[in-house]
Amino acid sequence: MDRIHTIGTQTDWVVMIVYLVAILLFGSYFSKYNHNTTDFFFGGRRFSWWLIAMSIVATGVSSHSFVKYSAKAWEYGFSSSMAYMNDWFFIPFFMFGWLPIVVYSKIRSIPEYFEKRFSPSARFFVTILQLLYLVGYIGIGFLTMGKAILPLMPPTMSLFGLEINITLMGLIIVIAFVTGAYTTFGGQIAVLFTDLVQGFMLLLAGLMVFIIGIDYVGGWHAFWNLLPTEWKMPLAHYNKPSDFNFVGIFWQDGIAGSVGFLFMNMGLIMRFMSAKSVNEGRKAATFNILFMLPVSAIVVSGGGWVGKAMSMLSNSPIPANTEPDFIFVVVANIIMGPGVFGFVVAALAAALMSTVNTLLNASSAVYVNDIYNPMRIWLKKLKKNDKGNEKRALLVARIATVAFTILGVLAVIPFSSYPTVYEAHGYFHSTLTPPLVIAIFLGVFWKKFTPAGVIATVIGGVSLMVLGAYYPGVLIAPFDHGTPMDPVHPYTYIGALYNTFVCLAVGVIVTLFHKQFTKTVNRIKKYSNRNLIMSVMVIVCAIFFMLVILNIGGVQFLFIASLIMTFLVSMISSYYIKYDPIAQTEGLTVSSLHRAKEMFKGSKLNERDGEIVKVNWNVRKDDEDFVNLSKHEMNKMNAEVGDLIYVSDARKYLGGLKSFHSTIGEPHAEEGIIYISKEHLQNGLLIKGRLLTAEKEM
Amino acid sequence: MPSFFNSWLPFIYLYVVGGIFFLLGMVLIRRVKGIDMRQKKHRFWWKVMIFGYFYFMIIHALLIIAALYW
Repeated sequence: MDRIHTIGTQTDWVVMIVYLVAILLFGSYFSKYNHNTTDFFFGGRRFSWWLIAMSIVATGVSSHSFVKYSAKAWEYGFSSSMAYMNDWFFIPFFMFGWLPIVVYSKIRSIPEYFEKRFSPSARFFVTILQLLYLVGYIGIGFLTMGKAILPLMPPTMSLFGLEINITLMGLIIVIAFVTGAYTTFGGQIAVLFTDLVQGFMLLLAGLMVFIIGIDYVGGWHAFWNLLPTEWKMPLAHYNKPSDFNFVGIFWQDGIAGSVGFLFMNMGLIMRFMSAKSVNEGRKAATFNILFMLPVSAIVVSGGGWVGKAMSMLSNSPIPANTEPDFIFVVVANIIMGPGVFGFVVAALAAALMSTVNTLLNASSAVYVNDIYNPMRIWLKKLKKNDKGNEKRALLVARIATVAFTILGVLAVIPFSSYPTVYEAHGYFHSTLTPPLVIAIFLGVFWKKFTPAGVIATVIGGVSLMVLGAYYPGVLIAPFDHGTPMDPVHPYTYIGALYNTFVCLAVGVIVTLFHKQFTKTVNRIKKYSNRNLIMSVMVIVCAIFFMLVILNIGGVQFLFIASLIMTFLVSMISSYYIKYDPIAQTEGLTVSSLHRAKEMFKGSKLNERDGEIVKVNWNVRKDDEDFVNLSKHEMNKMNAEVGDLIYVSDARKYLGGLKSFHSTIGEPHAEEGIIYISKEHLQNGLLIKGRLLTAEKEM
Repeated sequence: MPSFFNSWLPFIYLYVVGGIFFLLGMVLIRRVKGIDMRQKKHRFWWKVMIFGYFYFMIIHALLIIAALYW
């Protein structure tokens, strides 16, 4: 089928280029606020909930993208919105489990959590999975961007006399270059602030397409009556067809996807970590899921819904060769005037860029914190707990961003074999999220979960998942709920249930047999040839894993081999890993949250409610990290010496950009004055004469 | 008229199976004192979480009724 090319006008291109350049300049302006890697990656833990919420909108909307949801909206109707309305079930686990643990344990990445909670080897395996997840996500982002912009391009272009064919892959390489350059020099603060603008632009563009589209087909009643009843249902058919069914998408998106998005999407977690407090993070999460996601569902699907209604008109303007992934751009071009169409596509491209930016930033954070720094410690070039050279770390982060941009482009290749981005993303989620989701979930919510359990989940679970991919008719079919198996892309969605089940089963069973493993290992430790026994176990595991990966030996043999390998991995982990179940769970599981807060503060908690006070400021001569308030203000705040405090410029619209955290020192007698250090002044970016607000954190 | 498989079955599955996960989370955070009901802020969040579950359930139910009968 011929692809659609050259839609839009010159005016649209001018608008698009102006918009993208403006966003780049805006991001570059905020990059000056990056003083160190904490600012570069996490935005310095200072921002208000509304800024975080808007920034999440841009990431959430674009990662679940206009392109993929409009495609399914065009094919199946209102049920394309269901993925935006099924994220609430895990909110208790997130708001009062994972979010406070992430903030109070002061981890800089998810793999770091695994080292603290389990062992360095657990961190190593999780880092590999985490990077695969992030690179895959970057690949999906690039593929979506390419599909959004390709219809606007001519089939060929002449450059210096050379005739160049414009292909999807070629376009993706150009997009990757621009995106990589922007993230490399901007960092997280630039991403946060461009996202704020882009969040608004995106919502505006999507709503414009939906509202103008409804008007185009003759108003709301005409739109509603043009659609058949099946297309108005908010949830898809229970188990048919294979490329879009409710039960598969529930397990792939509602369970694996929601937990994956909230718990292991480092890009999203970094947004929450840049919130000024845990409570502010909760506000951002709630506002986003309750209000912004339903609006986003309309924004991202509206183009497809309107397109379907337009296709029902007697003289449909939708070309017959329109691919589902192109429908949003095609509809926008039909209903919008020149220039406005350019704005819509620019908003879409910029928002997609924002998602990829965040993921690139997250990937380089994982690389610096989980590979580069541990390697330097291992090579004894860096002492543990030593921050090292910040300039050097920032340079490494930037180089890593470039490398992950290239890997993201390579990841596009396997995903482009799927008919739509939706299915590619669905398969990606079903496959890569379950082992990490189970590892994080059991780690946080089950105190008894052991290092052997987590490593067996990752290695044994992945092995059984690979087997499921090779033999879906045997292994995934019992979980399929009656969904048909597409022979080319079998069980794209419901595969998530099988994958989650095997990872959970491995993790739970290995942990329940922890005592037996320890007993056996203690017996082995007494043998003189113990090293030989362990070496044989490692070799057998490696051979079995390779047999599974290469699919040599048939399903029954490989299934038994996977189980034996899981058993051996558990033994090896129990043998080599030193694990203190008391020290390594303190402050790191949901059952010790109070302790986590105490460890974060460094002293006893003061959780009495107090007021937020407005104060003028003076600078002390020293650089000690404490502030001094008057007794009067401290009484109003219900604060004591040693409590943590958040001080910010009183102008709320700044969203915390000019702010800092500190500790309360001894009180003084001058009412309405706060004494701060020179470093506070520098880090807080405070302006002389501006009023501040002071708020007790804990 | 769409069949039960295309209308109410997905709704029931979503809020029963999803509801089990939600309930599990609510019970767990109460039992391990992840949420401290002595704090005013936490009591507020407890109510918000319950509200959210029914909020989405009602939205979905209304949308199904609108599709079927409107």
